[in-house]
Amino acid sequence: MLGVGAGGPLGPSGGTGSRDGRSLDPAGPPRPGQSSDLGADHELERQAAMLLMSVEGLGPVTFYRLLAARGSARAILELAASEVGRRELLGHLGSLPDPGQDPGRRAAHVADGLAGVARAAAAITDRMAASGLDWLTIEDPGYPARLRVLEVPPPVLFIRGPIAALSAESAVAVVGTRRATEGGRRTAARIADALARLGVAIVSGLAVGIDGAAHEATVVANGTTVAVLGSGHERLFPRAHERLARRIIATRGALVSELPPDADPTRGTFPRRNRVISGLADATIVVEAASRSGALITAAWALEQGRECFAVPGSIDAQASAGCLAFLREYPGQVRIVAGIAELIEDLGLAGRRPATTERGDGRPSAQAPQPAPAAVLASLGPAERAVAGALLAGSATVDDLGRRSGLPVATVLGTLTLLELRGLATAAGGRYRLAGGLVGAGAAGMASVARP
Amino acid sequence: MLASVLSATLQGIDGRVVRVEVDVAPGLPGFSVVGLADASLQEARERVRGAIRNSGLVFPPRRITVNLAPADQRKTGASLDTAIAVGILLGSEQARADGAWALIGELSLGGELRRVPGILSMVAALARRGIGRVVVPAESAAEAGLVDRIAVHPVADLAAALAVIRSGRAARPRSNPARVDLAGSGAAADPGQPPAGGPATTATGPEPEVDLADLRGQAAARRALEVALAGGHALLLVGPPGSGKTLLARTIPSLLPPLDPSDALTATAIRSAAGEGPIVELDRRRPYRAPHHTISYAGMVGGGPMLAPGEVTRAHQGVLFLDELPEFGRDVLEALRQPLEDGRISIVRVARAVTLPARFQLVAAMNPCPCGGPVGEEVACRCRPGVPERYAARVSGPLRDRIDLWVEMPRVPPASLVGLTPAEASAPVAARIAGVRRLQIERQGGLNSTLGGSRLRRACGLGARERERVIVLADGLDLSARGVERLLRAARTIADLEAAETVHLDHLDEAGRFRALGGRPLNQLAV
Repeated sequence: MLGVGAGGPLGPSGGTGSRDGRSLDPAGPPRPGQSSDLGADHELERQAAMLLMSVEGLGPVTFYRLLAARGSARAILELAASEVGRRELLGHLGSLPDPGQDPGRRAAHVADGLAGVARAAAAITDRMAASGLDWLTIEDPGYPARLRVLEVPPPVLFIRGPIAALSAESAVAVVGTRRATEGGRRTAARIADALARLGVAIVSGLAVGIDGAAHEATVVANGTTVAVLGSGHERLFPRAHERLARRIIATRGALVSELPPDADPTRGTFPRRNRVISGLADATIVVEAASRSGALITAAWALEQGRECFAVPGSIDAQASAGCLAFLREYPGQVRIVAGIAELIEDLGLAGRRPATTERGDGRPSAQAPQPAPAAVLASLGPAERAVAGALLAGSATVDDLGRRSGLPVATVLGTLTLLELRGLATAAGGRYRLAGGLVGAGAAGMASVARP
Repeated sequence: MLASVLSATLQGIDGRVVRVEVDVAPGLPGFSVVGLADASLQEARERVRGAIRNSGLVFPPRRITVNLAPADQRKTGASLDTAIAVGILLGSEQARADGAWALIGELSLGGELRRVPGILSMVAALARRGIGRVVVPAESAAEAGLVDRIAVHPVADLAAALAVIRSGRAARPRSNPARVDLAGSGAAADPGQPPAGGPATTATGPEPEVDLADLRGQAAARRALEVALAGGHALLLVGPPGSGKTLLARTIPSLLPPLDPSDALTATAIRSAAGEGPIVELDRRRPYRAPHHTISYAGMVGGGPMLAPGEVTRAHQGVLFLDELPEFGRDVLEALRQPLEDGRISIVRVARAVTLPARFQLVAAMNPCPCGGPVGEEVACRCRPGVPERYAARVSGPLRDRIDLWVEMPRVPPASLVGLTPAEASAPVAARIAGVRRLQIERQGGLNSTLGGSRLRRACGLGARERERVIVLADGLDLSARGVERLLRAARTIADLEAAETVHLDHLDEAGRFRALGGRPLNQLAV
């Protein structure tokens, strides 16, 4: 086991199961099977759980510990509201495992937070309703089964988008470094695209780089993708992906966070969400990771959770692949190599699967509908767009390069790039442009189909 | 005996006529100046005393009272020295004047007249008051001569000034106005004085002009600059160090069309008031100001005891280039909002306020993030998460909102520089810009950047397909209502560059490219 869990907010769950063993006692956290009544009572408990998890400094471990002591989230809230109860709560909290801080102070902080939440319960609930966010507690039937079996499942998931997206028949996490190379992004996009066409939900972390490429390709393929946030929904990070986040929702994907909506992204929140990424997926694929990349934490969680884990090997000279190679070397036999798209599909056991063509009832073509091949996409474009897209086939380019390769005047190149970007066929950053969406896979074949002017 | 002469002071960039009344009365010898004179004018007493004595005249041992009217206006600067000295000499009957005179100029202890800032504005103010003749320092002859309807009498020293006002004619030919005779007068020991006739150093200094042909590649940025200058749009260049942002900006002076004469007079008055000079002719070049990012608030906005114009005013009718935009002080950048909105800047000081013109075009440049940003294809930004966002956030939302065109400048790899065909030079681009500006003035009386609302829509004349495209662009590029207006303005200018009557789809698409970056963080490689 990598030392990934040791410093994270879920410290004990990483390896030393003994310390929090009590909270994981079957009699401890109430499991969904036990809540027989899904009526008003259940709704109140749901709200109480959501309120508890809105308290700063109160993580899953504390939640389950309190629950084990008091039986229900509502009981904990009631306790927090009174001065007498507060002392009792402090008793429960006093033994919190807490590496970095004075335990007494942290307990007091959490108790204050609980009291505050108990006072402001109505306001918080109203705000949730107004924000359009939904949440799932571990007791809800819709809670994803893949997460429920984790050692310490998130007690509450805050969700934007359809809940069903979290429980797709198959789900694969595609993760990697934020400092991805162009090749890495292309690989991530191709994997996500191929799997999405087979109806597999793609899970990732909405970060820039590999994560973004995986989400983007799934959205373009009209597949389902789930983004697990390292922050609260109202503090979406990175801001650069706000638009991508909206498109994920628009293609019936979901954004998920176990943090309350107003939680800021911090150093600690990202490793913590990584266990949710791997937990929501049957398999985790690391596309590019430098040594010490956060993506390796996700991969290690996948192994810890008994899920499949894949890594895309790279050149031994490539910095962005050093982590993948080190990981493969460290876990021979456990981590598998991505040898190609077809091979990956075979290794995932999806080989026999045919792209389903079921309409999803909303009139839009489903993910599984056949997408036009890059050559066909090229053929559907106007002459200027085809010339500029053709010029992009040779690799990412500046406007200068495109003008030279296409022979078009700069004004035309600029306008055409806008059109390609709007169609989702090109993206720009730092003054460089590259192909995206349906043209990503276009290689030499696409090249050949483009008559150079 | 009471004597009265006219002079002028400078407030902001405007001249204010001041009547200098001097009463030379019997009593204990004394010399006082009243009428809201500030510290620099109290010092005038010592200069006047020395100048009179060293001109071979007698400083009267009487009770001398100088009153500066109007009394409610604060007066500052050394421009009144000569008038005070002449008033004293008239009052003590050591001189005679033929009619009413105005005199402007600082005095040296040796009696020479020195140049002061803002002569042009002061003489213009006197002319507006119907005052027919003015005595100015010889150095400022050309500058004062730019004003019509007033006879300018340049003199080298106090004695010459007395001769002029007695006879009404120049005492000597103006052919030798420089201080030839100073060498013998023993007044050379005056280290505070800048060398006569030498160019005054300014904040930016005279930068060598760069031609567009000197810049390799960067077709997108060149195009954006052409569009921006043609339509008066604010432009932001974003790129890593070494991508040529500053070089591109330095081509701006070679691209701007000249000012017409009346605008040139305003520009020259501003330069004069700012202490640039000596001004020898009407300068028709458009101002190009590039203050360093360490500039103070007062330096940007204007201020100081004389409410001297700041950079925003000195860039009036021209371009204000701010390199390393996020490095400027926050208050300095916020101060740009008022002038960007209404073309003026108000400076308010205790009991004084002045509004100066500041209709400049903003061109700014910045790195995408503190580390310099992504380099080439394979190296991403090396900043810690959140750092680039904070860096970009130093340029506040309201200021970003006022930037019309955004363009990214990737670093040009040396290898690709070799193969590039020589770039277009400044001259043809400048000709296009001048033509398109004329077109806009004829059509709507101002540049496209001043259009808004219904005037903008009328000028664009969008058809049904174009309107549809605007909606698609607004949606796809996440444009706000204000963003759509900026898109349309830029598209109008792009259409003008092609001499198109109405805005077409191509123009909208290209304008969209310059708006696409507006809402996006700057350091990202694309997903």
